[in-house]
Amino acid sequence: MTNCKQPIMKRVKQIALPVVFVFLSLNLFAQTRISGKVTDKAGNGIPAVSVTLIGANAGAITDEGGVYSFTATFRGESTVEFTSIGYKSKQVKVKPGSDQTVNITLENDVLGMDEVIVTGTSAGTTRRQLGNYIATVKADQLNKGSTGNVLAALQGKTAGAQVTQNSGDPAGGLSVRLRGVSTLYSSSEPLYIIDGIIVSNASTRVTNTQTGYDGQRFVGTIGTNKLSDINPADIERIEVLNGAAAAAIYGSRANAGVIQIFTKKGSSGAPVINVSTSFMINQLRKQVETNQAPTKFGGAPDVLTQDILLPALTTTTAVNRTNFQDYIFRTARGTDNNISVSGGKDKTKYYLSGSYLNNQGIIQNTDFSRFSFRSNIEQGINKWMTATVGLNYVYSKANEKPDGNSFFSPMNSIIILGNYHDIFTRDALGNIKAVGERGRVNPVSVIEDIKQQQRTSRFLSNIGLKLKPYKGLTIDYTMGIDNYAQEGNTFIPPFAYNVNTAFWGGGLSLDPTLNGYASAATSTYFQINHELNATYTANLTRDIVSTTQIGYSLQYEKTGYTLLQGRGLAPLIQTVNGASTILPGADARGEQSISGVYLQQNFKYKNKLFLTGAVRRDGSSVFAENERNLVYVKGSGSYIVSEEEFWSNSSVSKWFNQLKLRVAYGQSGNLTGIGPYERFNSYSSIAYLGRTSFLSSSVSANTQMKPERQNEFEAGADLSFLGNRLNLSVNVYNKKIKDLLFDRLIAPTTGFSSRLDNFGSIENKGIEILIGGTPVKNKDFQWDINLIYNRNRNKVINIGSPLSLFSTNAGAPVALLPGYAVGVFYGLFFARDANGNPIKTPAGYMVSEKGTQNSANSYTVQRDASGQPTGTVLRKVIGDPNPDYTATVTTDLSYKKLSLHLQFDAVQGGDVFNADWRTRQGVGNGKEAEKEHLGQYPRGYINAIYAIEEWRIDDGSFVKLRELSLAYNVGKVKGVGDITLALSGRNLISWDKYKGYDPEVNAAGQSTLLRGIDFGAVPIPRTFSFSVKARL
Amino acid sequence: MKTFKIKNIIALLLLGAITISVSCKKDYTDPGRATEDQVFTTPKGLTGVAVGLQRVYAAGRASSLYNLVTIDGLLTRQDTLLNPGNQPEAQLTAGGNAVDGTNTILAGLWTSSNKIIYDADLVIANAKNLGDKGFASGLIGYASIFKALSIGNMSMLWEKVPDGTGTNVAFIDRISGFNKAIAVINDAQAAISANAISATFTPNIPAGIDIVNTLNALKARYSLYAGNYTQALSAANAVDLTKKSSLNADASNLNCIFETCTSNFNVYQALDSTLGLPLAVRPALTDKRVPFYVGLSGAAAYRWVIKGFYAGGSTAVPIYLPGEITLIKAECYARQASPDLSNALTELNKVVTKVPAADPFGVGADLPAIVGPLTQQQTLDEIYRHRSTETYMSGLRLEDQRRFARPISERRRNLMPYPFRERDNNPNTPADPPF
Repeated sequence: MTNCKQPIMKRVKQIALPVVFVFLSLNLFAQTRISGKVTDKAGNGIPAVSVTLIGANAGAITDEGGVYSFTATFRGESTVEFTSIGYKSKQVKVKPGSDQTVNITLENDVLGMDEVIVTGTSAGTTRRQLGNYIATVKADQLNKGSTGNVLAALQGKTAGAQVTQNSGDPAGGLSVRLRGVSTLYSSSEPLYIIDGIIVSNASTRVTNTQTGYDGQRFVGTIGTNKLSDINPADIERIEVLNGAAAAAIYGSRANAGVIQIFTKKGSSGAPVINVSTSFMINQLRKQVETNQAPTKFGGAPDVLTQDILLPALTTTTAVNRTNFQDYIFRTARGTDNNISVSGGKDKTKYYLSGSYLNNQGIIQNTDFSRFSFRSNIEQGINKWMTATVGLNYVYSKANEKPDGNSFFSPMNSIIILGNYHDIFTRDALGNIKAVGERGRVNPVSVIEDIKQQQRTSRFLSNIGLKLKPYKGLTIDYTMGIDNYAQEGNTFIPPFAYNVNTAFWGGGLSLDPTLNGYASAATSTYFQINHELNATYTANLTRDIVSTTQIGYSLQYEKTGYTLLQGRGLAPLIQTVNGASTILPGADARGEQSISGVYLQQNFKYKNKLFLTGAVRRDGSSVFAENERNLVYVKGSGSYIVSEEEFWSNSSVSKWFNQLKLRVAYGQSGNLTGIGPYERFNSYSSIAYLGRTSFLSSSVSANTQMKPERQNEFEAGADLSFLGNRLNLSVNVYNKKIKDLLFDRLIAPTTGFSSRLDNFGSIENKGIEILIGGTPVKNKDFQWDINLIYNRNRNKVINIGSPLSLFSTNAGAPVALLPGYAVGVFYGLFFARDANGNPIKTPAGYMVSEKGTQNSANSYTVQRDASGQPTGTVLRKVIGDPNPDYTATVTTDLSYKKLSLHLQFDAVQGGDVFNADWRTRQGVGNGKEAEKEHLGQYPRGYINAIYAIEEWRIDDGSFVKLRELSLAYNVGKVKGVGDITLALSGRNLISWDKYKGYDPEVNAAGQSTLLRGIDFGAVPIPRTFSFSVKARL
Repeated sequence: MKTFKIKNIIALLLLGAITISVSCKKDYTDPGRATEDQVFTTPKGLTGVAVGLQRVYAAGRASSLYNLVTIDGLLTRQDTLLNPGNQPEAQLTAGGNAVDGTNTILAGLWTSSNKIIYDADLVIANAKNLGDKGFASGLIGYASIFKALSIGNMSMLWEKVPDGTGTNVAFIDRISGFNKAIAVINDAQAAISANAISATFTPNIPAGIDIVNTLNALKARYSLYAGNYTQALSAANAVDLTKKSSLNADASNLNCIFETCTSNFNVYQALDSTLGLPLAVRPALTDKRVPFYVGLSGAAAYRWVIKGFYAGGSTAVPIYLPGEITLIKAECYARQASPDLSNALTELNKVVTKVPAADPFGVGADLPAIVGPLTQQQTLDEIYRHRSTETYMSGLRLEDQRRFARPISERRRNLMPYPFRERDNNPNTPADPPF
């Protein structure tokens, strides 16, 4: 340490001295005051325009009325640049000496060509220069869809992103896939960065802690993901980097893309207070149809609850059927309130906000509430140094019910129950009754008695220091901390009736040592990241500008998880202390660090040709010492053809205004591709019968495995026509991930079930198209329409074996096969004749195809003399949860002060494994079961078809009216400025052929591999909201 | 003034960067787990792994015990499936071709058996390096029980079994499998006779296991299956029939069959008082073992419930029954090269007339003695009747049916298909038998 200090100090002196001289010389000149107003074409002032005197470290931000002023010292003619999101930048020459007024009008920048992109640079760059596609979503696009979740608000907003809401719970998780699945073993969610803080979007279970949930591959990654803590009202804009080509600068954690969130900042001027409040109503969009047959097979429901799958029963009993959906669902209410104050004086700018959200779930007794405070402060220290501090505290709380993957979740409690039980009758002691003989949980117990709650206390903070010590050089340093404690409780009170011990009941004897369950779990998370960047810009010649950037990044993460749990509860006690049987707990700790350095060089030729190259070296503690450091490169170029003279001189330019061509290549790894200690082959300890036992893992790890490597190639074009009234962007990409980290199944005779190592590769190829147009635009009326189309083809190239088939909690046969998309469904299918019609047995039953299985997905069908299938039962790929394409159409109409926004999202061509639909038939509450009860199907029809997995494949295609917003800007009322009233809705209509509630679902939550599974998940509600916004 | 500021700030920043880069530690270890080196070089570590073998063998629905009892019980009609929604159990109930390589119960037994063999091999090999030889012999004996059971269980169900663990292992026929299990026991017995198990070892493993007697009992069982009657008889004679050896359970680690089956009507229950046996070999109505093993539920859902060794959450499951050992002796006398039918009947009658109170586990037929002489076939039929009753739901009946040449219609499948997980990843996996 001391050895390396000396030479560094010497070098610092060498660098610092010339810097100082440049500075001193600048100070010799007189100050000039420059002021004015920035307006749009309609003459309205544009707030928050950045006004900079190039090369002089001076400038200002316009206030609410578009007015700015600043003083600067400079010599000779200089340039003032005006930049703002959504407007084309403009440059104006100024002369030193006399104070002057510069009023300017900025034109709309529909393609966002001159928009400042902060992502990936310390000084910011413009879209013009980028060789790859980066999407920007602005605040006003996020707040029309009546959701308090930032990821939900992103649905349909950017090209290349598939945002899926996995559950309709008020705190339900969402998955984001940027250009498909980027890995198989770890999370395929993008890296989230908020104001420079690398934030956790983990889904850690602190409720649903029962052992039945163990195994991520089996159940999935369920529950809330932690981005639900972020208040969308604080967000100024979001930048989405889809791939490695764009993300190389973020290093190797960015292999699944990057989502950068920037929160609002203050601007100079008097304090502005923004207040908004909204009231929401959430409803189930549609109920599923249920069996209405007047009889069931076999005896009374209490004696024999499940009749359909016992074909020997042919006698019938008259029953009354009840719609249990009316009981578990409700019309839910919510409110979302925000207040913010922003402003600034001299060198201080501030943004302060507070918010409170409370939203009920459509399942009885579930809700989510969150309050948060934020302060963003920017302080100019002197002419060349600025410090920023951002502090955000969040407290969120969710009252939940057991997750859908258990048989005692609200959804499954009614799905696995014939709809002929009387669930409400109580005995003399007020206890509800058992539902049938199988030890199932009465839905009333689930809604009324089982309690789950989780709470998160989270602190996000960032400090930054930006230095512009002399012309062309920018140095900035950011430190971010994300710190939270997430705690949860689960309480299943002892049941007064027979509940299966597997559902935490006491069984037939109501065994007091087993009846009931309680747990308390805590997950703690601490992450600190340091980013140090320096950018130097120099004019090499009159036409060539060079920008050199170097940077260093360090990230450290420490996690903890503890669990206390027990069963056999004492009456009245809700804590684990009341448990007569203490179950094995958990105490898991993790620690990891990642660091990297990079160098990026950019050349710009005449504002029309841009070339960028970068090299980065990263290391992660999760890999072995000699494997952890890897070097990644990236390169990109863009060429703005329309900037050429021949273009502007030609007649084409009259209607074809802009043409930009771009190409990019980038590499990245996956430095968090395995958990902190997963490279070690270790034994975990667990108490067994009062002794210590060590268990070896079912996974054998290659201790010398290395990070994955992703290579992405992207090319694209941006075009605009008709005076920028029509715009088109196209991106094509091909990303290949090799050295794929994966725990592939191996022969159990090795002593292990799977091997974690670098196996094979996967690829994603796709195209993204964005079309934006303004068909009508005049003084009072404007109509904008936007289309986004994404098509991604995901393919497993090689996984080291011909087939990896995973058994899952929902019974979904999820598989990996070379040549097929990740996570296809692979299983039994119907025997069909030459015309494709199903073959039936003489009894009228559908049958599984049989013959000889030649390889994983090829087979030879065999028929016996009577034409019935014979041989071994065959398997093939029967479904694919990955959509063929996704698309969004947004239309915005505004007439004077009235505006209407509509967003339609389409997800087409994906399959859903509809486990719930089959269960409804098996237990006798579905419409197919009704046909068997009514004699329309032969008795035993459902039992015969029940195991054929193809029967559970359902069409997951849908088009949704995702967002609707009708807003009226009242304007000033009695001194209160700018009041806007809005009526909006979310997920209002779905056009689909799906047999369940909603094909947009995944019972496996945010899992990478397990997608498109419907098993007890709460359907996404329809939301209406009424909101009032005002500026004081 | 300015000079100093700039210099200091830039210097500080760069120094800061250097400091954090130097202090960037990247070698973290998991405080919650122990590495292989740590585990296999200490007596405590080795004992922990050995206890882990018992846990894999007996705890929960994924255990060898649940899977063995379920496969055997459903295939030989000892139990009846109540909910066909339990797909692997439903396959076993349907039998024949319905039982295929996807069956998770078969795959589970295959996986846990091989896991136990893998870890037991490491325990046995590393125990030999310990200084305390008495402690080492305890470890070897204890781990060998689960290794032998794992090899033996696979040999009872599959036509060919893996010859050890590793990549692309070869297969040997099932009789060689039994002999392999016997070899494991022989090694363990040699270690114990060289250095008796020290008193310091026993408190480290769960209560209930009698290592020495269990090794002899398993040697007798597998020698009988391998057709080595002399060895079976001498091993059986070495077992102290007054001792118990069992896999215990408690409220945190429930009896696996109780947890999944007995406690509810959602998976399977005992078929009925015939114990799934045809009329000719059914237990007598007065046989006291029947009410020991099955009972009336009193519930409308299903008339019969499982009792016996799966009656409660904390009920211990015997690794072998003294009655099984006595019947092994009877069978050896009856089957040996020159059958000794008189001694066979004597041993058989010890089981027939045993009163529950005289059995360490309370299993007793308490019937009048069978009056001889019986022919060899009559003797074997009676032995089958009493083995099937005495060892109800112990996972042994399928092997018995083959040995006693019972009609194939009495079982729903004879030999199991190999799990796809093995077939997909090991080219040496043999072809599936037709039935």
